[in-house]
Amino acid sequence: MLAKFGEIDLDTIDVSNLNRQFLFQKKHVGKSKAQVAKESVLQFCPTANIKAYHDSIMNPDYNVEFFRNFMLVMNALDNRAARNHVNRMCLAADIPLIESGTAGYLGQVTVIKKGLTECYECQPKPTQKTFPGCTIRNTPSEPIHCIVWAKYLFNQLFGEEDADQEVSPDTADPELSWNPADTEARATASDQDGDIKRVSTKDWARSTGYDSVKLFNKLFKDDIQYLLTMDKLWKKRKAPLPLDWLELQKLACPQEVTGTGLKDQHVLGVAGYSQLFSRSVETLRSMLADKGDGAELVWDKDDPAAMDFVTAAANLRMHIFSMNMKSRFDIKSMAGNIIPAIATTNAVIAGLIVLEALKILSGDVEQCRTIFLNKQPNPRKKLLVPCALDPPSANCYVCASKPEVTVKLNVNKTLVLALQDKILKEKFGMVAPDVQIEDGKGTILISSEEGETEANNSKFLSDFGIRNGSRLQVDDFLQDYTLLVNVIHCEELEKDVEFEVVGDAPDKAPTPPSSQEEQKNFANGNKDSAEPSTSSNAPAEQDDVLIVDSDEEPSSSTMDVSTESGGLKRKLHDAETGEASAKRQRLDQATADDDDDIIALD
Amino acid sequence: MIDMIEKEDSIISEEEAAQYDRQIRLWGLDAQKRLRGSRVLLVGLRGLGAEVAKNLILAGVKGLTLLDHEQVTEESCRAQFLIPVSAQGQNRAQASLERAQYLNPMVAVKADTDRVEEKPDEFFLQFDAVCLTGCSRDLMIRVDQLCSQNNIKVFCGDVFGYHGYMFSDLGLEHNYVEEKPKAVKPKTEESNEHDGPEAKKPKVDPSETTMIKKTASFCCLKDALEVDWTSEKAKSSLKRTPVDYFLLHVLLKFRTDKGRDPNPESFAEDSTLLRQIRDDVLEAMTLSSELLPHDFVSYCFSEMAPVCAVVGGVLGQEVVKALSQRDAPHRNFFFFDGMKGSGVVDYFGPN
Repeated sequence: MLAKFGEIDLDTIDVSNLNRQFLFQKKHVGKSKAQVAKESVLQFCPTANIKAYHDSIMNPDYNVEFFRNFMLVMNALDNRAARNHVNRMCLAADIPLIESGTAGYLGQVTVIKKGLTECYECQPKPTQKTFPGCTIRNTPSEPIHCIVWAKYLFNQLFGEEDADQEVSPDTADPELSWNPADTEARATASDQDGDIKRVSTKDWARSTGYDSVKLFNKLFKDDIQYLLTMDKLWKKRKAPLPLDWLELQKLACPQEVTGTGLKDQHVLGVAGYSQLFSRSVETLRSMLADKGDGAELVWDKDDPAAMDFVTAAANLRMHIFSMNMKSRFDIKSMAGNIIPAIATTNAVIAGLIVLEALKILSGDVEQCRTIFLNKQPNPRKKLLVPCALDPPSANCYVCASKPEVTVKLNVNKTLVLALQDKILKEKFGMVAPDVQIEDGKGTILISSEEGETEANNSKFLSDFGIRNGSRLQVDDFLQDYTLLVNVIHCEELEKDVEFEVVGDAPDKAPTPPSSQEEQKNFANGNKDSAEPSTSSNAPAEQDDVLIVDSDEEPSSSTMDVSTESGGLKRKLHDAETGEASAKRQRLDQATADDDDDIIALD
Repeated sequence: MIDMIEKEDSIISEEEAAQYDRQIRLWGLDAQKRLRGSRVLLVGLRGLGAEVAKNLILAGVKGLTLLDHEQVTEESCRAQFLIPVSAQGQNRAQASLERAQYLNPMVAVKADTDRVEEKPDEFFLQFDAVCLTGCSRDLMIRVDQLCSQNNIKVFCGDVFGYHGYMFSDLGLEHNYVEEKPKAVKPKTEESNEHDGPEAKKPKVDPSETTMIKKTASFCCLKDALEVDWTSEKAKSSLKRTPVDYFLLHVLLKFRTDKGRDPNPESFAEDSTLLRQIRDDVLEAMTLSSELLPHDFVSYCFSEMAPVCAVVGGVLGQEVVKALSQRDAPHRNFFFFDGMKGSGVVDYFGPN
């Protein structure tokens, strides 16, 4: 029946995969997923022709020609960047793509075919949730703010320092001043001579020998006392209460392990977390020392000391800001963007994927549907809801015939490197962009060839004559994708915002809804949807499907604990009755979690 | 089977915590413990049975008994991923055992080669849940009656080509919990001075939740299948009734009459018989045979692997929910139409 399969995955097997990834057993932990999957499948279908690639799908070896070898591509990815990339490759090669995702009890499948359906990027997707710097640094109001702060702190002390991940009090907080001009003045002042003293946190820590008591008192006492002097912040909020190391040790009582919960699910007292803080700092200090000069640690949820550190630091901060502390178990969910996953949901979606594949292979692509799996049946009794596929969006900046987009930024303050990394790669999903300025001279701003335009990286766009109304032609040859970027010069972007794509929904944290709305919105994407914890947040009666992009951090990972915002609602038409079904949210998530699997049929 | 936590060791080992981490984060530790204390009987190891077995074993039940008296045929190997290709001629349950056990060594998996019809009543009473696949209508009715009298959860399911169904009887009073977010208390308006930008108000932690206790009531399979369609009221509800309910009656009758399911090798003969049975069954219900269109036969032969995966996934999750007593169970039928991709939950039985 089936002929050839190509299967691509960069990832290795972890014990936490075994509750659902049934092609793997305990003895396979640590091995390549692609390789072991192939071996397991051959056990029950020895005649299958499967090639396994232990690799990233974004490797340029997998070019349009490679994709053209296949009749069909099926994704089971867990991150936006890879999905965007495969989307473009399948458009370029003109091959049908079956996209899917699961999270907890929810899932969905859809089919993408160039010219016939929407591509993966036709509908703007909710971007990763970020919080304003002042919320993280000055006025946290939710546990997630404290967890983000703790992860930033980890990087500042032990990892790669990042200017966007400051932990010290922010004197440029817009709330401090009634007068916008005043805020601007403070911001400039703090840029010039630093928030308190512009010594890097790491250097300061090093100078104390990573003394955990000194660290503790600086972060949880001195800095908090400084925040208290910013009294405007505390007029309508409960003021934070600084801690003192010595006072805390007096309170310390021996840890009682009661109950039958998991060890990780216990919540210690504040004294307990102060000790955990101290122990983890010491362990991390020594790990850093072992790595030698100029070494950096990378945060990993599965590294015990790193996780202990974030648990302790986040909880201490939560306590200071009068929030109920959380267990290590819960913090790990939030900090590590863990999406709960089970075998049954994945089995259902896998079955649906195959059924769609069969339609495509028998030439019945017009029978294909988007299908949503809900936790509870909708008012029309449907648990599995098929919907007609939408046609391509005329303005899609990926699959339209001449894609174009408009970006607002400050040409005098945006570096060429930022354009490349933050805008073209991160925002617009390109892997290796080439940029030409439409200035009549075809000036090359960025070349994907290594080293060719490196000298341009530290210059500003305006240095190349780019100004309001300039147009940039951007190509990604691997993706066979050309995008025209219109530049609008803007000097009044919001704080912490480097650029804005015209036509995008805002991606900052939404204003808190009233209590009524909050109940309804819970299904539509918990504002803090990186904290699924032990509950599924979709109320039984709702028609909404919530699928979250896991970005579950692999062992060497980036910092962002940022979460998916409550995002986009779409009206979809029930395939049978033609009625518009209730609004649903569509975010993205892996079928199989953690992997970069692609399985294709020839 | 009331509070299983008392029966069983309530400490979860580190190995279990690591392996079950991603599901404990979904349904909670209590639910996992209840699963861990549950013994399940699974009858029938064809494609659907294999999917259900896999799902329950991965979920971490205490024990799963695989009961099937049939032999492995060439067709079994294709639809069923637990049976090795070399196992032809062996008993299906036994042939499935090794791979089933490998899925999760922490579950006690057993194979039983007896005919389910020949099992005495006491046999069933050792289980917390019973799942019947590939069984005759009479057998299902009998076992359902016996089990629900003894507080044992009963599930039935089958796959016929592109179609599949599952039925559950969780008893007259099935208790469960639902986890809901804590209600946010509205803040009273404080002073209405606005000196400065809108100050952020403190929030109740949105991730804090509360457990709400609920009950659901189920009828027996006999009542669910013997719904009276003669009344005007019943007839007027037909429009909203999934046609698959009637398809199920036809296929169960075929199974009773022929002792097997429609076989592609006797497609013509079986199709004719199916249409005849359709006419008989619908006539007896005083309904039009148009309810099931002429071509219905094309889509109900053989077990399609992806349909087994879908139905097995839903069925498996229903068993998990019932054993863990968490989350609202589907009541009481689930019908899947693999051609349309639609999956419907509906209740059949006395009101």
